[in-house]
Amino acid sequence: MDRRRNPASQFLSRFRGWIQAAATLLTNIHLPNFFKGTIYQGPGKAVCVPGLNCYSCPAATGACPIGSFQAIVGSSKFSFSYYVTGLLILIGVLLGRFVCGFLCPFGWLQELLHKIPGKKLSTKKLKPLRYLKYIVLLLTVILLPALLVNDVGMGDPYFCKYLCPQGVLEGAIPLAIVDSGIRSALGTLFTWKLAILIAVVVLSVLFYRPFCKWVCPLGAFYALMNKVSLLGIKVDQHRCISCGACAKTCKMDVKVTESPNHPECIRCGKCIRVCPTDAIGFNYGLGLPEKQPKQQCKGSQ
Amino acid sequence: MKRTKIAALLMVPLLALSLAACSAPKDSNTGSMSGDSDIAALLATQSKNAEEAAELHQKLMQKENEILSDDSKLWEKVFLAANKDTPMIEDGKNYGDFLLDTIEGAKDQFSAEEMKTLKAGAQQVKEIENKLAALEKDFPGCGSSPSSGESVDASSAGMPNSAGTATSANKFPSFQGKDLDGNEVTSDKLFSESKVTVVNFWFTTCKPCVGELSDLEALNKELAGKGGQVVGVNSFTLDGDATAISEAKDILAKKGVTYKNIWFASSSEAGKFTSKLFSYPTTYVVDKNGNIVGDPIVGAITSPEQQKTLSKLIDQAIANSAG
Repeated sequence: MDRRRNPASQFLSRFRGWIQAAATLLTNIHLPNFFKGTIYQGPGKAVCVPGLNCYSCPAATGACPIGSFQAIVGSSKFSFSYYVTGLLILIGVLLGRFVCGFLCPFGWLQELLHKIPGKKLSTKKLKPLRYLKYIVLLLTVILLPALLVNDVGMGDPYFCKYLCPQGVLEGAIPLAIVDSGIRSALGTLFTWKLAILIAVVVLSVLFYRPFCKWVCPLGAFYALMNKVSLLGIKVDQHRCISCGACAKTCKMDVKVTESPNHPECIRCGKCIRVCPTDAIGFNYGLGLPEKQPKQQCKGSQ
Repeated sequence: MKRTKIAALLMVPLLALSLAACSAPKDSNTGSMSGDSDIAALLATQSKNAEEAAELHQKLMQKENEILSDDSKLWEKVFLAANKDTPMIEDGKNYGDFLLDTIEGAKDQFSAEEMKTLKAGAQQVKEIENKLAALEKDFPGCGSSPSSGESVDASSAGMPNSAGTATSANKFPSFQGKDLDGNEVTSDKLFSESKVTVVNFWFTTCKPCVGELSDLEALNKELAGKGGQVVGVNSFTLDGDATAISEAKDILAKKGVTYKNIWFASSSEAGKFTSKLFSYPTTYVVDKNGNIVGDPIVGAITSPEQQKTLSKLIDQAIANSAG
């Protein structure tokens, strides 16, 4: 325990909770706005934050990438959100689902909820539900807002409007508490999304990160980028003793040694800490040329 | 491992606190009815000079407003029952007497308990009004209260200008601007020409905003018969942005909107006011004196409930403008 071979990786994963807290705070820096019942509308809002964090949160520092994507793709002025897509691809290439594990406030919330003691259920048998998030991404974020438009060519942000629990938690609830006008505007749509939020909260206590695994369109996007992301997880096949501890500890149900850069891996680093021979570590950069062929050799033997 | 658990435990109460704290600044005027003895003391106060008189005048006005706002729901019923044809301020009749008469006239609408509250309140208002009249006599002009002929601020005339709680006059911020065709518009002129002005804030790429434009157009036609109007403010067009104006006009034309849409400088009072809005669409109802009536309507006015709220505010504005 005292001297480990991969100190940087160990450090990152050990202090993940603090990094998540700091990221949540930085993503929602305008805290006094909670009391004023207003939203920060300055230049920062022209930029997207990496995680799922509602634009309408009084404290929000920037815009939600998923919200911005829908707003632009659904507007009559633009046909596609090039700028937001570009930004998402950039973040995807630089970090991939590291964003989910370290930077996303809603991911952190689900983890905190999962710490509430009680019966914990495995999601191993629910793997097919993983594909739901890609459908959510394709339908509610891309296709419906772009295609289902009114007479002047405007679409609705379907994901934000009908599904997003983060919007209710960060936007609707705090604003409705302080603003009577917004309170009086709450209707069936609010009730529906509040039900979704409550469901996500309850499921988060039972399962680990249910929203990230099954619903989140942002997670789905980063999942697609995980394979090409500069940040990856590397397994040193010479050191690996195939004990299976990594796969057992993985709460995202990834078989680490088989596919370290699996779309579901949120880079939490639990496997890094549990590995008895320190064979697993974070890897940053393009440099896989010498590792990759060896790995394949091993795999085919 | 332990540290993360501790952190989680610490975060939970913190989150709970931050939510609880949000709901705190609600009831700011609780305990204002501590005032029966207060009022008696104020009534017994003798003023030696104009300054003291002015201060006393102000305090009494405040007490009076507190009486009316404490049971605003009940008083609202009274105001609705009031005979709007008789002018209530100008003829020199005591406002308390007017309230007593009105309560008496509508007594079948109230329970015995409610009657007691209302009558006690009206009696206090009457005494305060007497004192105010005496003060005015001894120290003319000590109150900035309206002299006859001037435009009357809704709230200083004792009429709650809001369906809810507001007790002070709530002026729509002033501006000098233009309509989208380039004609000059000023807030004073705009509001004083109509018994009621429905001001709708929207922007070009806001779907619910654009969705209600045709309803607002219909409302404008309806209001025209009552001496009212609808005015749109497109937040993109502030400062006269030429592209934004042409895009807004394009949407307005597609939606068949004929009512006036205006812009003003973002540095004007109204411009700053607009920059603080973050829910779109938001609709304000303004009376002839330029006062905002009630709370703004947040969200589209298309739903039946919102329409009901809106028509109530419109009626109230017309009543204010007539008073």
